[in-house]
Amino acid sequence: MNKEYLMGNEAIGRGAVESGVKVVAGYPGTPATEILEYVSQYPEVHAEWSINEKVALEVTTGASLCHTRAMAVMKHNGTNVVLDFLMHINFTGVRGGLVLISADDPGAFSSQNEEDSRIITYLDAHLPVFDPWCPQEAKDMVKAAFELSEKTELCFVVRPVMRVCHARSPVSVEEITTVSREPSFEDDRHRFVMSAVAEPEAGGVLRPVLRHKWLNQKQPILLQIMEESPFNHIEEGEGNIGLVACGTGYAYVKEAEKIMGKKFPILKLGTLPLPKDKVIKFANKMKKLVVYEDSEAVVERLIKELLYDKNIRIEIVGRSGFLPTEGELSTSVVLRSMAALYPELEKLIPATKVLEVETPVRVRTQCVGCQYRGLLHALKLVIRKTHGIVSGDIGCYDAGSFPPLELQSTIFCMGSSIPIATGIAYSGNKQPVFAIIGDSTFFHNGVLGLLNAIHSQLDMVVIVCDNRTTAMTGFQPHPGSDIDAKGQPAVAIDAGKLALAAGATSAQVVNPYNIPEVLKALNKAVKEKGVSVVVASCPCYLQGRRTGDIGFTPRKVSLDAELCNGCKVCIDYFGCPAIHFSNKKATIDQTTCVECGMCADVCKRGAVK
Amino acid sequence: MNFNVLITGVGGQGNLFASNVLATYFMNKGYHVLAVDTIGAAQRGGSVVSHMRVSDSEIYSPLIPVGKTDILVGFETLEMLRNFRMLAADGMYLLNDYKEPTVLCNMELDVYPSDKNIKEALKNSGKKGYSIKATERARQIGSSLMTNVVMVGALCQLSSLLNSDEVRQVVAAKAPPKARELNLKAFDAGGSLMLEAMRQPVRK
Repeated sequence: MNKEYLMGNEAIGRGAVESGVKVVAGYPGTPATEILEYVSQYPEVHAEWSINEKVALEVTTGASLCHTRAMAVMKHNGTNVVLDFLMHINFTGVRGGLVLISADDPGAFSSQNEEDSRIITYLDAHLPVFDPWCPQEAKDMVKAAFELSEKTELCFVVRPVMRVCHARSPVSVEEITTVSREPSFEDDRHRFVMSAVAEPEAGGVLRPVLRHKWLNQKQPILLQIMEESPFNHIEEGEGNIGLVACGTGYAYVKEAEKIMGKKFPILKLGTLPLPKDKVIKFANKMKKLVVYEDSEAVVERLIKELLYDKNIRIEIVGRSGFLPTEGELSTSVVLRSMAALYPELEKLIPATKVLEVETPVRVRTQCVGCQYRGLLHALKLVIRKTHGIVSGDIGCYDAGSFPPLELQSTIFCMGSSIPIATGIAYSGNKQPVFAIIGDSTFFHNGVLGLLNAIHSQLDMVVIVCDNRTTAMTGFQPHPGSDIDAKGQPAVAIDAGKLALAAGATSAQVVNPYNIPEVLKALNKAVKEKGVSVVVASCPCYLQGRRTGDIGFTPRKVSLDAELCNGCKVCIDYFGCPAIHFSNKKATIDQTTCVECGMCADVCKRGAVK
Repeated sequence: MNFNVLITGVGGQGNLFASNVLATYFMNKGYHVLAVDTIGAAQRGGSVVSHMRVSDSEIYSPLIPVGKTDILVGFETLEMLRNFRMLAADGMYLLNDYKEPTVLCNMELDVYPSDKNIKEALKNSGKKGYSIKATERARQIGSSLMTNVVMVGALCQLSSLLNSDEVRQVVAAKAPPKARELNLKAFDAGGSLMLEAMRQPVRK
């Protein structure tokens, strides 16, 4: 068997390809993005960046109904978007193996929130969930999930966390088994037409209740599967405090063992539902259980419930308070908890040295050369004059909400900017409202908010940051791009024309590098009645420079120290990282400057030449 | 054998390439390798940390446990200082003497630590380490983008676990053909810088 140095996400993609997956759809989001990018290299796989995650799961379900193996890929926020559909396919079940990858980001390293998607997928939708501890297990779980999905007719969920998605290690690579299966579609309306209709054959019981019963009847079958699953096992060890190590919790518990030179009793868990007999067998020998899981106390509570029912009275602690209740698990978390349980182990925790020097934080900002710095600068000037409120959205341009610009007053989830602006306008507040949203986010969920706003006849400015790609996650195409996930030509949807067709007052298209042009457009838009759209259109600089498709003519600039009076407009109203400020003067760092020349328009003293 | 390298820097400095070179070198030697990078939110300019772990027995956590880093590599000064507590009791640091001010420092809301304070803090830490001007050297060679390769070249002289000639071959294989010569030049320059630094009295 060959081994390849793969990222966890690539291992997941490889597992799907080896399983003969034919349709993969998803929406980009850290930490899951590379999964779909990996499978899109295979000509036999139809890979699609869908408009949003709900569409991705619906597309893959359609394929599954034709007995084709399919996989939907998303991060936890996407799983939230999917919830409505998920609460229906759990009742209908699937045909061809269907796997949902729901990647979590404990610690919120690259997310607007922190959540545990096992709650939606298992506790809410009652679908089986695999929780891998390393890239190899993630791959094995994906392969098992396809098999079991067909065996049980249920959508299987694999929930990797960021440290599994992004870990790199040698992973076993097997041959790709081409499942020769002709697609076919047979009607089964009792299953696939979800409606509140009486079922004559069931004595008039309503169909949703009947399907709910079907899902409940699957649970004992799943229980049996998990009881025999290779993803759960018991390891013998010293003492009567049992460590329940779920997902990545297993990695950190084993690491702590290595550091402390100890062998603890471990129940390694990777599945939901839990293997009940195994849990009881393990718990029976213990006085106390500590449950390590990312990131909510899901398994901890399930074990409490199980042992209560079995009348086993032992103490069970974990993420509900004994361990930190937020943030990601780590070896340090396990080591500290072990020292709390066994004080004599305290001395085995590695000593650390904290430097006697303050280390200021590094707040994220737009890249050097980013076209949106010009747009945001112009918007800042307009806001200063009009005292407008800016509601923001998800994407690179969200850095406009951080210092120095501090423009967006709100950022929630994908597509919230326009509805929030609508509500502010409805409130009777007299300040003008601006919503700023990226192109990928606009198509994902923003367009409905725009239609809603246009229909309601309110006055607002909607700025669409159109860089033709999903830049934040590394340039994935979206419906506004002229290529698809496989690099093939695609129909690009024009956000501005869409807005005009829907009844927007205007849709001005501007080059965000051209600050005077953006200022003029924004000043016009804010005076108009109705919803005025401004499309800041220009390819992402980082992507465009690869092909020479950039929105400016390079222009070498330097700062004349004689003319600079230290007013800091270039720092506080623009904030390009290539402009440094010290000793009351600005300087341009020629190493990082990409010669966009925008700062020359920003400096009012003419010091940038 | 356990060997943990933590590479710290800011987005765009090429942590990942450096980490991949080391991982490939050790995998070719048959060791267990496990690595992870903090990537995602920022394309450029944010803090980036790469964990690279090597062992002759199974490694479980891709994250280096706090206090278990054998060599702490700083592509950027502040980012290395920020992660200093990751160092093992007998760990060493290798710093690129290069500073990228933060947004808040430019706004004069924060103060980037002064050379004097940094020097003093490192001295008081009691840790052994070296500081070299890798970015400056990379720029002289032709591109500041070569900072990471200069640092890998230097690292090979610092650690007895790294055979400079063999790592050099990995760099040659992994570099894009167009930039192969430049990469090797940077790698060699890093080695020379390090040997030069090691001839100076050790900062302790």
